[in-house]
Amino acid sequence: MDNPIIVDYLPIFMLLLVALFFALLLPALSLLLGPKRSPKNAAPHKYIAYESGMAAIGEAQRRLPVKFYRIAVLFILFDVDIILLVPWAVTFRNLGFYGLAVMGVFMFLFILGDVWVWKKGILEWE
Amino acid sequence: MTGEQFVFLAVSGLTIVAGILVVTLRNLFHAALAMMLSFLGVAGIYIMLGAGFLAAAQLLIYIGAISILIIFAIMLTRRMMQAQDTPFNSQAGAGLVTAVLSFILLVFVITRLWRNEIFDSPPEVPTAIMNQIVVQLGSDFVSPGAYVIPFIVASMLLLAALIGAVYVAWPQVEDEA
Amino acid sequence: MEFTPPEINLLIVAPVLIIMAAGSLGMVIDLFMPDGKKGWAVWLAAIGLLLALAQNIALWNGNYETFIPQNGVAMVVMDNFAIFLNATFLLTGLLVIPLSRSYLQRTGLEKPEYYMLLLFSISGMMLMGMANDLILVFLALEVLSIPLYIMCGMLWPRPESEESAMKYFLLGAFSSAIFVFGIALVYGATTTTAIPLIFDAVAANGLNAMIVTGLAFLMVGAGFKVAAVPFHMWTPDVYEGAPTPVTAFMSVGAKIAGFAALLRVLMLALPQASGEWVTAVAVLSTLTLIIGNVVAIRQGNIKRMLAYSSIAHAGYILIAVAAAADNPSAGVSSALFYMFAYLFTNLGAFGMVIALERNYGEGNLLDDFKGLAKRHPWLSLAMAYFMLSLTGIPPTGGFSAKFYVFGAAIEAELYWLVLIGVITSVISGYYYLRVVYLMYMFDGEGQLITGRALQFAVFVMAISTLVLGLFPEGLFNLTAEATLSATRLLAGG
Repeated sequence: MDNPIIVDYLPIFMLLLVALFFALLLPALSLLLGPKRSPKNAAPHKYIAYESGMAAIGEAQRRLPVKFYRIAVLFILFDVDIILLVPWAVTFRNLGFYGLAVMGVFMFLFILGDVWVWKKGILEWE
Repeated sequence: MTGEQFVFLAVSGLTIVAGILVVTLRNLFHAALAMMLSFLGVAGIYIMLGAGFLAAAQLLIYIGAISILIIFAIMLTRRMMQAQDTPFNSQAGAGLVTAVLSFILLVFVITRLWRNEIFDSPPEVPTAIMNQIVVQLGSDFVSPGAYVIPFIVASMLLLAALIGAVYVAWPQVEDEA
Repeated sequence: MEFTPPEINLLIVAPVLIIMAAGSLGMVIDLFMPDGKKGWAVWLAAIGLLLALAQNIALWNGNYETFIPQNGVAMVVMDNFAIFLNATFLLTGLLVIPLSRSYLQRTGLEKPEYYMLLLFSISGMMLMGMANDLILVFLALEVLSIPLYIMCGMLWPRPESEESAMKYFLLGAFSSAIFVFGIALVYGATTTTAIPLIFDAVAANGLNAMIVTGLAFLMVGAGFKVAAVPFHMWTPDVYEGAPTPVTAFMSVGAKIAGFAALLRVLMLALPQASGEWVTAVAVLSTLTLIIGNVVAIRQGNIKRMLAYSSIAHAGYILIAVAAAADNPSAGVSSALFYMFAYLFTNLGAFGMVIALERNYGEGNLLDDFKGLAKRHPWLSLAMAYFMLSLTGIPPTGGFSAKFYVFGAAIEAELYWLVLIGVITSVISGYYYLRVVYLMYMFDGEGQLITGRALQFAVFVMAISTLVLGLFPEGLFNLTAEATLSATRLLAGG
């Protein structure tokens, strides 16, 4: 472990390993400990989705309305803006008024887009 | 094998295997999940290159947002979740040949330059900057000496993309024609 | 860390700032305007473009540079080359607006978004001409392309329009990716993205395989944008499916912007690699000329025919680019001249196509031109004149442009390229003059839908084409000055 970068990120790597381990462990446990019955013998209604005792209606995988897509697009734009904002936020005291002004232009354009979207009724859920 | 080599092999292996899965899996939804895995591998490569901030951006934007959008797009397409079509069309062979040729070209180009001055001594990044890479990035974003124009242009780009993305999914069809 | 805000001169980038501000202002006004009122957006766009054009012309001969980074290289330059290209883009916008108005009204497209996207796209094109750094070239490419993708698909849910947007988007995104990869390779080899520093790095260390590969990727990316064969596959379908004013805008603006990027990269960043790229450009040019002109003959749809015609014209401009390898001043200035003349001629021809299109997709066939001369003698005359200009018959702007391009190529001793150019010009006469033949020699039902704005714009373009045909020297001197300011470095180095 000579590389300082790898040492820095070792905890995250460990976390990933632990997450992977648990993700595999739980299904494995349920396979091991669960009652073993041949699927052929199971009653057909065992394969129906559980809907709190009601008969299931339609399929579980329905077509989503397009409004989800619109929200997801807005989410991407917010994400990109966060990435661009963070470095400035870390050091904005050093950059002084000038930095604030540039970021003001940036935020104006960003907020303008959001207000426009809001006013146009894109965010309405009905 | 040093630890660094081991991590590199693991990360790049993950990227490549997941990338191959993306283009070969028959279920589009599974392909999207494999793509997220591939993005994760790319983030790992960024970390190994010392670009931690870029890796964070990769996680936040590509895995956190773009993959979600792709999954939404799959889910709002009729019957895409169950689609079992083959992902290849009649041009798959030509695509494969092109990809292999480009790969050989790039390997040739990069390995030939491996020993010359560019790769022998990568430009030294001062430790002061290296330790404060995000701070440096922050001042570069707004400084006229660096990237203020691309920064503002990028925000313009986001605005245009916002109008466009919303326009193609406008709530109700306005039938004025 | 110490940070001192440096001196900046916003007037230098004012033309592009005005366009961006007009686009954003449109969104602000849109928030407060009732949905019924739509006319304001036209005026906002037109005034913005005019103001920007005025400021742009005021900067002529200034040779300004601004936003100087620590390494002494400006991110944007306002040399005469950039100013000339800016003027081209602004004129394109100013002429597209009167052409689009009545078409937009009859297809239900007349929305503020159309004009905002138009302005954003123009701002991207202008940045392309001004950019002095490959990062900015790439961003400009995206700023100009993304609004165009949307504008192609604005007539959804009509499948042709959607198909057009989808094809353009997928291939455009693909070509942008190739372009970025080229930038990455050049950066890897020279450790800089600033165009003058790339030049210096190549001068100091010479070429290597990585720079040449990067150059090839950059050329492929730009080749998609200018629709050069073999990267032209998207053009006919996209041009046919997009709303016609968008097609007109795309066929002129996006193409010229693509050439702006190509010229900046080839002439200013990597002129020392001219031995490598001149053959590639010449081959691209040959293929583009032959395929564009020959396939255009078989088209029965005027938009598809003009799509192939625009591919062919990319081929003529590529001749000028190839000539620029040996003879930078003549090559670049004749390319600039060609693009300027092409702007008026092609937009004029598209103006007639727009007027002929009754509704989206109706009246686009060549047969619809039959008998137009009897009902609309003046506009038919203008159309016939544009067709002559596209063919390159004197006295038209198209002829002067071809004359300068072929002249530059002969000076650069690219005789076979000139030969192909002349032969394909003769071939192109067949399909261009067929439109004239159909208009004058047949009887038909075709009707033009013209407003005063469209007639005025077509009139202006016909006069401009005539002036460029009769007195080309004035513009040629301007293009020569524009070239000189951009290639100053070359002469010195």
